[in-house]
Amino acid sequence: MNGPWVEKYRPQTLDEIVGQDHIIQRLKRYVVEGSMPNLMFTGPAGVGKTTTALALAKTVLGEYWRQNFLELNASDARGIDTVRKDIKNFCRLKSVGAPFRLIFLDEVDNMTKDAQHALRREMEMYTKTSSFILSCNYSSKIIDPIQSRCAIFRFTPIKGHQIIKRLKKIADSENIQTTPSALESIVYFAEGDMRRAVNILQASSTIDKEITEESVHEVVSKAKPRDVRKIINKALEGNFMEARDQLREVMVVQGTSGEDMITQIYQEVSKMAMEGLIEEDAYVDLIENIGKFDYRIREGSNPRIQLEALLTKFLLKGKE
Amino acid sequence: MLWTTKYRPKNFKEVLGNAKAKDEISDWIDAWLIGQHPKPLLLVGPPGTGKTTLAHLIADEFADFIELNASDKRSYDILLRTVGEASASGSLFNQGLKLIILDEVDGIHGTDDRGGIRAISKIIKEGQNPMIMMANDPYSKRIKSLKSKSQVINIRKIHTNSIVALLKRICINEGVEFEEYVLRTLAKRSKGDLRSAINDLEIMARGKKNITSPDLEIISQKDEIHNIFDSVRGVLKSKNPQHIREAMRVEADPAFILELITENIPREYEKKHEIEQAYEMISQADTYLGRAFQTRNYGYWKYSYDLMSLGVALAKDETYKKFARYTNSSVYALLSKSRAKRDLRDRVADKIGEKTHSSRKIVKEQFPYLEMMFQNNDLARELADYFNLDDAEVKVFRSRKIPKKKKTKQSSGEKKDKTSKKPVKKSKKVKSNKENKDKELKSTKKKIEKDNPENKVESKGKSKSAATTKTTKKPDKSSGGRLARKDKTPLDKSEDDPEDLNSKKENGDKQTSLFNF
Repeated sequence: MNGPWVEKYRPQTLDEIVGQDHIIQRLKRYVVEGSMPNLMFTGPAGVGKTTTALALAKTVLGEYWRQNFLELNASDARGIDTVRKDIKNFCRLKSVGAPFRLIFLDEVDNMTKDAQHALRREMEMYTKTSSFILSCNYSSKIIDPIQSRCAIFRFTPIKGHQIIKRLKKIADSENIQTTPSALESIVYFAEGDMRRAVNILQASSTIDKEITEESVHEVVSKAKPRDVRKIINKALEGNFMEARDQLREVMVVQGTSGEDMITQIYQEVSKMAMEGLIEEDAYVDLIENIGKFDYRIREGSNPRIQLEALLTKFLLKGKE
Repeated sequence: MLWTTKYRPKNFKEVLGNAKAKDEISDWIDAWLIGQHPKPLLLVGPPGTGKTTLAHLIADEFADFIELNASDKRSYDILLRTVGEASASGSLFNQGLKLIILDEVDGIHGTDDRGGIRAISKIIKEGQNPMIMMANDPYSKRIKSLKSKSQVINIRKIHTNSIVALLKRICINEGVEFEEYVLRTLAKRSKGDLRSAINDLEIMARGKKNITSPDLEIISQKDEIHNIFDSVRGVLKSKNPQHIREAMRVEADPAFILELITENIPREYEKKHEIEQAYEMISQADTYLGRAFQTRNYGYWKYSYDLMSLGVALAKDETYKKFARYTNSSVYALLSKSRAKRDLRDRVADKIGEKTHSSRKIVKEQFPYLEMMFQNNDLARELADYFNLDDAEVKVFRSRKIPKKKKTKQSSGEKKDKTSKKPVKKSKKVKSNKENKDKELKSTKKKIEKDNPENKVESKGKSKSAATTKTTKKPDKSSGGRLARKDKTPLDKSEDDPEDLNSKKENGDKQTSLFNF
């Protein structure tokens, strides 16, 4: 069974991992020594945090890695109590056929502070038998006591040429032709995110057996949140209610995230400024506001309300 | 025993105030007792004015009674059953008369208690049993239809002097010495709510020999709990900080109040800069809510409250002298409409996340790409298999079912095979689809031109090649669709049915939404 390429071509060993060379080298030393502190992997999405954790687990734990490895997603709606119970049940047993047991907790930065404190107690309780790997996007959202108990590894976005190399390898195995410009544009849209890069490649391959820049563009434009230009135009025309209704439709019914929406709004506004549809002064003002609301979306409680507020900024910028 | 219970009136005479109401009630009881069937009573008045007391006194005049809290959903089944029993047993003159007391009929929830008002109406129509209903809000839309079908009796607030007199009596009876001033203050603060006045007195005086003015400090001013729309109105209609603070005294989740104020800003405010400024305040209020949740420091709420109330109120140049119809946020309707869809997406995301070691959020970000991959039948089959998705779940990514595997399996690599064989096999269908194809060709061309105008010239040739591969795929899909329809088993149907039911329910929601607030 082949499945999605992101899984089919996920690196299985530390050596296979793309980018992050300095991190891999240090991790290999743990493998040699056979012991490991608690680790924290920080960095944006799609740069190899989970892949590295999985590969490390296989290397350190050896043949019986599955029995001694627990993967948990901290941010999903399961609540800290379930997570704690799972950890407890797992850590109570001694490792069999491996030097210790390994727990991988994903997206720890989305846990509340209380939950993080609870996690910290679990980490202390089982230091003798188990080791933790935590992953997060922003280490700043992790409480200090946890940070101080972990060796922190900062994963960086994957470089363009490294992505291209990997994509070429996948394309070769899949017997697919790619043009250099197609790969370049995948790199451009992936923004250092390997998961996205591979997904764009596979989606493009369903359009055409030879992947061209155009097929990549088609995929990317289809993947964008829809109707953003329409929403902006409604707001610029001063028709706030309609703009708001459409925004709600896109976000609530289609389930587009606030982050995706604001990225798209930024891109559309830039494009509109290029096309002369927005005055220069207004453009600078709007960008300032988009940046401000990008920040507030992350800080605030309701991304949709923040975006509605951003739309009101367009009300005053329309050409009369 | 609580003093409110201990000093509850034992007969109509002891009930304070509302002389006219008491007369009407007596007449109504007499009418029933001589075998007439007058309309049910609807007692309307603010809390603590004696509605429940009156109802219980009335109940004493009948053989039996049943009391139901109308905001309890299940009570309607009970109600209908009870009424059924009561009428079935037949009345031996007045002996069998069972009084029905329905409290808080204005608290009937629009969606949860669908049919509630209808059930009451039905019972009224049958008119077999005496019935009393109570409500706080005379203007509630929910009781509008009931008002026309019943005898409305307004129960007024109790006069301060009457309250003072009663409080005095209680004090004497309990052996508590008092200053006249203290009792008067208590009575005034209660704003005609006798129950709260007695409660306050009990808190102050129970187990004590005397009460003096410092004791008043124990009890804070009675907080008037407002209807949430009063708060919204207070914020949007006023510029007076005092009023606004007062209006915001409402027991509700701050995120909910924020949502409702936000919803109605553009319904009240007309100038662009007012809307912009008001929303700026909303945005900041939301930011503090987020910080409160993230840090569990709920002290941030106070800033949020001030920003969403005072901040929004002062964003307008002047108060509008107009009637604006406030509504509940459309987001809630959208949410309930799309609930089934969102649940399905979550379920699918969880399944995929398990296989790809990623969280729901990450998986959902990849949905658009998966959607495109699922347009290819072979790949769709493979992915559905890999992620273990059933037909309903596949619908998240493609509208049509995936056709069954063809006998001659073609691997993705055999490109030449595909192009040479297919057109021969499906030539008929290709012809019939010609028009569609041309349309598609044009649209893809247009699309590509629109997406990257720089590439206009270059893209023409290439888009053609893209389109032609599409057309070879197209017959596949249509034949697959037919197959799928034939294959549909009753099982599939049952999976579809809940959706239909949901959509029906939604319609119901729309109809009853008037009652929501």
